[in-house]
Amino acid sequence: MTDIKKGPVSGSKPAAHVTIADRRQFLIGSAGLLGAAALGLGTGLGVRRARAQSRAEISFASAAFFGKETFGDLIKAFNESQDRVLVKNIELPPPSSSTEVYQGLVQQLARRTGTPDVFSQDVIWIAGFAAAGWALPLDEYFPADKRSAYFSGTLNACTYDGKLTALPWFMDSGMFYYRKDVLEKHGGKVPENWADMATIAAAAQKAGDVDFGYLWQGKQAEVLVCDAVEIITSNNGAILATDGKSSLINQKPAVDAIQFLHDTINGTKISPQDVLSWDEEPSRQPFTSGKAMFMRNWSYVYPIAQDAKASQVVDKIGVAPLPSFPGGKSSACLGGYQLGVNANSKQREAAIELLTWLSSTETQHRIALNFGLAPTRPALFQDEKIKTEQPFMATLENVFTGATARPITPEYAKVTLALQSGISKALVSGNVQAEMDALAAQINQIVG
Amino acid sequence: MTAAATVSGIGRPRRFGKALPVSLWALLLLTPAFVSLASVSFYPIINGLYLSFTNTSLITQENEFSGFSNYVQLWGDAQFWNAWWHTMWFTTASTILETVIGLGMALILCEAFKGRGLVRAAMLVPWAMPTVVTSKMFGWLFDGQNGIINYILLHAGLIDQNVNWYGSPDTAMTTIIIADVWKTTPFMALLLLTGLQTVPNSLIEAARMDGAKGWTTFWYIRLPLLMPTLLIAGLFRALDAFRVFDLVYVLTGGGPADSTETLSTLSYKVLFSTLQFGYGSAVSTAMFVTEGIIALAFCLYLIRQIRRAQ
Repeated sequence: MTDIKKGPVSGSKPAAHVTIADRRQFLIGSAGLLGAAALGLGTGLGVRRARAQSRAEISFASAAFFGKETFGDLIKAFNESQDRVLVKNIELPPPSSSTEVYQGLVQQLARRTGTPDVFSQDVIWIAGFAAAGWALPLDEYFPADKRSAYFSGTLNACTYDGKLTALPWFMDSGMFYYRKDVLEKHGGKVPENWADMATIAAAAQKAGDVDFGYLWQGKQAEVLVCDAVEIITSNNGAILATDGKSSLINQKPAVDAIQFLHDTINGTKISPQDVLSWDEEPSRQPFTSGKAMFMRNWSYVYPIAQDAKASQVVDKIGVAPLPSFPGGKSSACLGGYQLGVNANSKQREAAIELLTWLSSTETQHRIALNFGLAPTRPALFQDEKIKTEQPFMATLENVFTGATARPITPEYAKVTLALQSGISKALVSGNVQAEMDALAAQINQIVG
Repeated sequence: MTAAATVSGIGRPRRFGKALPVSLWALLLLTPAFVSLASVSFYPIINGLYLSFTNTSLITQENEFSGFSNYVQLWGDAQFWNAWWHTMWFTTASTILETVIGLGMALILCEAFKGRGLVRAAMLVPWAMPTVVTSKMFGWLFDGQNGIINYILLHAGLIDQNVNWYGSPDTAMTTIIIADVWKTTPFMALLLLTGLQTVPNSLIEAARMDGAKGWTTFWYIRLPLLMPTLLIAGLFRALDAFRVFDLVYVLTGGGPADSTETLSTLSYKVLFSTLQFGYGSAVSTAMFVTEGIIALAFCLYLIRQIRRAQ
């Protein structure tokens, strides 16, 4: 903003407003230049160039998060912390406009000019960026001993084709919210499998304690894929085979899991028909206004639910890992942002220095406290200051530990559109097996 | 400084004007408009057409000529045809409804009554509102849990439980059409009103003298004379409706089960989410061609009407 304002002013200045002082400086300057040319070595110029070269100039692009400070403040702190690297901050739209952030980033990276040198990325873009050759492999800079400090789930999502192409930064994941007070009346124990969850939810709903038993997100959108990943993985199923070349979504575990979601609306009726048009916020509102017993959502809900201005359920909610099917284990969908280095960056060492600083224990600590974004280093969950200031993070550690990544494939953008449409069709029509067969065929064509 | 520049700028053309022939001077004046039009309109169309014959993708970094392969793929793409039919259905339904209701509104506004100016101004409010705002508003009106539409229908005894308008394939598209009709009917009414006012009053008065009733004068005098306006307004509306994007994008995002996917939302997804510029351009070119055919059909019918009138 200020740059734009400055532009025309300084541009229209010279002709009309040259002061005597300016002229003198100009004359001195040109005299200096002449002298430099004559000597073959410009003293004044040489010094200035040396000073600029002493700090490697790089750029950092990220979706704009904010809390008690902004990412701009973070970059400023880095610039002040040392005198080797100077970072220019490029602010992209906020993460709620994830598609726009993606487009902005892709356009810059596709130009292969080296700008931005360092960028932050959603987990689902990593494979695509790596396959396009835009992300610098980081293995030599972050060997195994350095990597062990991070959650294995995020590291897994940062790895493409056996190479580490991104560095974990901060994370988010799906989690199971419940109403402590209502649960007290109906058994008191947080359900660990889906069938129990459905039974308790139905009982509470029937008793009139809540309007809705279980809320989730069924809108034909990215969040539907996250909900599906969680429930399918919790039944030991998967969307893609481990080699990433074929789809397992029409296998029994996945089909049963999607069938369960369908039944929450049409069978057990613990979820309203409306979940089919709800993404995060529409599903959050009935929960924080006290109308629902259980909900699947992201970590952002916790602070809202505990804020007396926005919530009717302050101190009445708990968070737990999502339930699973018998024989399966709880699974949370991995979200959050990771760091990457532009493969065309002309300042690799400086970029790595910024990367290391951003993902360091100290900076992640600061981000947890000032932005409320969860660290990707398990050690930080034991930190006393984080425990007292962001109490929900500590309770959530086991949720984050096992977070599952969405399908890791460079074709993710195509796969997710197919998934959104196919799963939505299955949920609406109830012909789960038939729709999953069609969907698997479609995905095989994309990734095969 | 700007004021001075403008004043001296006005003086100049006259001096040059004498030196240059008029036609050349006109050409010179038209050049900036043409250049800007060419760069923002012709270039993207031609470039889009070119891209549709390539396999350009930002992700795979391919950029080669691929002949008609995108169009072959398009022909067999169930999602494309699904979106095509939805778009046609949306266009037909909304254009017909808006024309009929718009004509009714125009006929009322044509009559002299107290406060007509106010009603005319008020009528335009829905049309003046940004579509995103309209979309959000209709999102709340038809909300499955707290929407006032459900509340009214429930209390009137027309439904026995809340309807999830946007979450069911049976109602989602209809609801979007209702939102579009609410928003754009005033525009049609305005166009038709100007058309109605060109019908000479003397003709209607003469008909009334001969004993024609309101309906007869409308059917035999106003409507035939209004036909060209109706067709042109319908054409405008149909072409605009065919491109529907914001209503769908905000309200349903194409779901549930692809039941509200239109060509605009589909091409947006293919172009900007999957970054397949080649295939996405083929989708938008197919859209462009369909629009061209619609426009041609309207024009041919219009020409026939005019010929018949002569």
